[in-house]
Amino acid sequence: MKKTILASALLAASAPALATMNVVASTSSMGVLATAVGGDAVRVTVLAPPDRDVHVLQARPSMMLALRKADLLVAIGAELEIGWLPAALKGAGNAKILPGSAGYFEAAAQVPLLETGEAADRSQGDVHPMGNPHLYLDPVRMARVAEALAERLASLDRPNAARYRGGAASFRAAVEARVPAWKAKATGAKGVLLFHKDVNYLAALLGVPILGYVEPLPGIPPTASHLRELTGRFRGQKGVILFTDFQPGQGPEFLARNLGWPKVRLPLEPAVGATSEEYLKLIDRWVDGVASGK
Amino acid sequence: MKTPLVGAIEIALALVLSIPAAAQAGPDPRALEEKVRALEARQAESEEALAKLRAALAAPSSAASPEELQRRLEALEKEQAAARAALEALRAATSRREPGPVEPTGLVPKSLPLFGSSSEVSSGTSFNPSISVIPDIVWSRDDVKGEAGEILEEADGFHGAHAEEGHDHGHGGLDQGFNLRETEVAFTAAVDAYFDVQALFAVSEEGIEAEEVFFQTRRLPWGLQLKGGKFLSGIGYANAHHPHQWDFVDQNLAYELLLGGHGLNEKGLQLTWVPRLPFYMKVGAELLQGENEKLASDVGPEVLPGLGEEGAPRVLTAKSGPRLFTGFVKVGPDLGYSNALQVGFSLASSRRHQEVHDHDADGIPEGVLDGTATLWGVDAVYKYDSPRPWGAGDLVLQAEYLARKRDLDVLGTTDTAVFRQDGAYLQAVYGLLPRLQLGARWDVAGLTNERVRGGAKTEYDSSSRFTAALTFNPTEFSRVRAQYQRAEIRVDGEKESWGRFLLQLQLSLGAHGAHSF
Repeated sequence: MKKTILASALLAASAPALATMNVVASTSSMGVLATAVGGDAVRVTVLAPPDRDVHVLQARPSMMLALRKADLLVAIGAELEIGWLPAALKGAGNAKILPGSAGYFEAAAQVPLLETGEAADRSQGDVHPMGNPHLYLDPVRMARVAEALAERLASLDRPNAARYRGGAASFRAAVEARVPAWKAKATGAKGVLLFHKDVNYLAALLGVPILGYVEPLPGIPPTASHLRELTGRFRGQKGVILFTDFQPGQGPEFLARNLGWPKVRLPLEPAVGATSEEYLKLIDRWVDGVASGK
Repeated sequence: MKTPLVGAIEIALALVLSIPAAAQAGPDPRALEEKVRALEARQAESEEALAKLRAALAAPSSAASPEELQRRLEALEKEQAAARAALEALRAATSRREPGPVEPTGLVPKSLPLFGSSSEVSSGTSFNPSISVIPDIVWSRDDVKGEAGEILEEADGFHGAHAEEGHDHGHGGLDQGFNLRETEVAFTAAVDAYFDVQALFAVSEEGIEAEEVFFQTRRLPWGLQLKGGKFLSGIGYANAHHPHQWDFVDQNLAYELLLGGHGLNEKGLQLTWVPRLPFYMKVGAELLQGENEKLASDVGPEVLPGLGEEGAPRVLTAKSGPRLFTGFVKVGPDLGYSNALQVGFSLASSRRHQEVHDHDADGIPEGVLDGTATLWGVDAVYKYDSPRPWGAGDLVLQAEYLARKRDLDVLGTTDTAVFRQDGAYLQAVYGLLPRLQLGARWDVAGLTNERVRGGAKTEYDSSSRFTAALTFNPTEFSRVRAQYQRAEIRVDGEKESWGRFLLQLQLSLGAHGAHSF
């Protein structure tokens, strides 16, 4: 009798827990991936609001709270979140999700990055020598990251492995279905003038040249002389100025006025809790923006 | 003549054909994984070439004949299918790897499937600690001939404890004109899977001081973390902040006068716990050596001459450490993305506090005191994060209150003396424009400021100060600050006022880590 009680107690303890995985995403685009891959099997918390510059965010107690309960952290990586994520991780005291552990997942470590190997010299602005971290506007890379994420989730939560792989596959299919239309739309686009190096991956995917940056150096606000130089360089050409909601509008407006180019301001990240469909719609809008420079 | 298209085909074919050779993997799973990665990259490239080829087929203006292209395309596709199969096999082999018999399961991070790299893409140079150097240059001009710092130290009720003669804290006293304050040199790294270490040295013209040298655990369960070595105590809010994190050039009056310019900076152990709760909470306790001059000074063993001609010698004994114990709790509710709040409560208790006061002409101290001390404090911080660029519109409100009680025997007499003192500050920093912050601070010491000796109570007036600072951050790594302050310090019952203008340049070189809340 006692033995059966003990045995059933042991059985109950060893039965796979069907609780949902707590996934903490550093930004809402990483949240989209986690939701696309995990569906109902994951509970996703997003740390950074989509309308803030992730470079200059600060650690908050609520981030530490979320990280304390996390089973998996999904970050963009390549030192984009270096100003706050390490501090939030330290404050959370959760050994499971430290870099190097199975609970740490960084998108930048899963795919090849652009602009790697630049000199680690801050006189050149807020540079990322390990590569451009803004890969989240590249849906093709995001699809590969989703597949890697599915494998990671599968390794942490074996009973739901098929579901994770299925989620990643349908995300990939949704992306692949749109790529030809995106490329077709952007064909003939003359080029983009970006505020910061944040649309580079999408421009590379669409094969549209990047003409320059409104910032004189990464992380430095536009100066009058730099704007004059850009005006002089591109007068008579065609292109479009792209910038995002948290970047100041004066520089882009000045350039748009003086060059006669369209200027397009769009959110860099989807809304918190966005579905993959909404993420792809955001990419649609960016593609339209890139394509308007004809 | 080769067209670019034919060139692309050749490259793609060469890549695909090289795959079977690469697929002959050695027994080392790591090498295997490397190879799989290389294969994948190559496959991606060949896929691209294929796509180009297909596009060329679709385009009517192609140089090569469609039949020829079609043939090449089919060949390429066949090769690629074979390569894909090889890749799948490799992938299966790597993910099925079992840990070897001599690999303890906890030590080696578990082998993850091919796509699941858990590494961090980091520019930290391999195996060297991250190094940061923060020079701090200050230009100062006050209207009391450079005595502003000295007047502060003479504030009624707070002066006189000269436990360590000649010890100079680098933060308070400033010369008229240029000053090179302590340069912070910090080394941080993960030692192994279990410990992080930070070694932070304050380098001044006089020498090097080990300001913080501590380890912190990485892998304790249940939200526990253990820290040990010399570190800034977790009490209060401002205490754990280094000078480069301050919103003003100088330390606030409450800390300066109740704990000293460095705050509570001690050797010992700290255990913190972050429980799983619907709100953020951190609870901590510390066992500290107890060397803080204003709270836990251990002067002995020392035999000092008695009072008067026939007075018995006054004996200060030594007590082994730890002599100082602290506890703190910090609570932060989840207020969404734009708002953050943290409130904290701290307590520190010293089982040994000794003071030697006011040496006369013969070097004989008038007061020799021996007893205990306690300190408690409350702190609150509110931050508003605005979506505007470069910190414009951000607001930080911060306030702390500290109260200290010293319960001391006056050696050579039968008297006991009880000192009760407190201090507080209230400050606001607002992002006026992108990269430009305006800060205001009011700080006060001695709202309660009394001494009860042998039943007789003596009360002192409080000293206060107002400070305004304009800070410009050209980038995250450099900072220029202009600060003006006006202080009213009570010295021997008289009000001593001074004003001071400061200009500060702070530079952060190297890999500087993230700042905690």
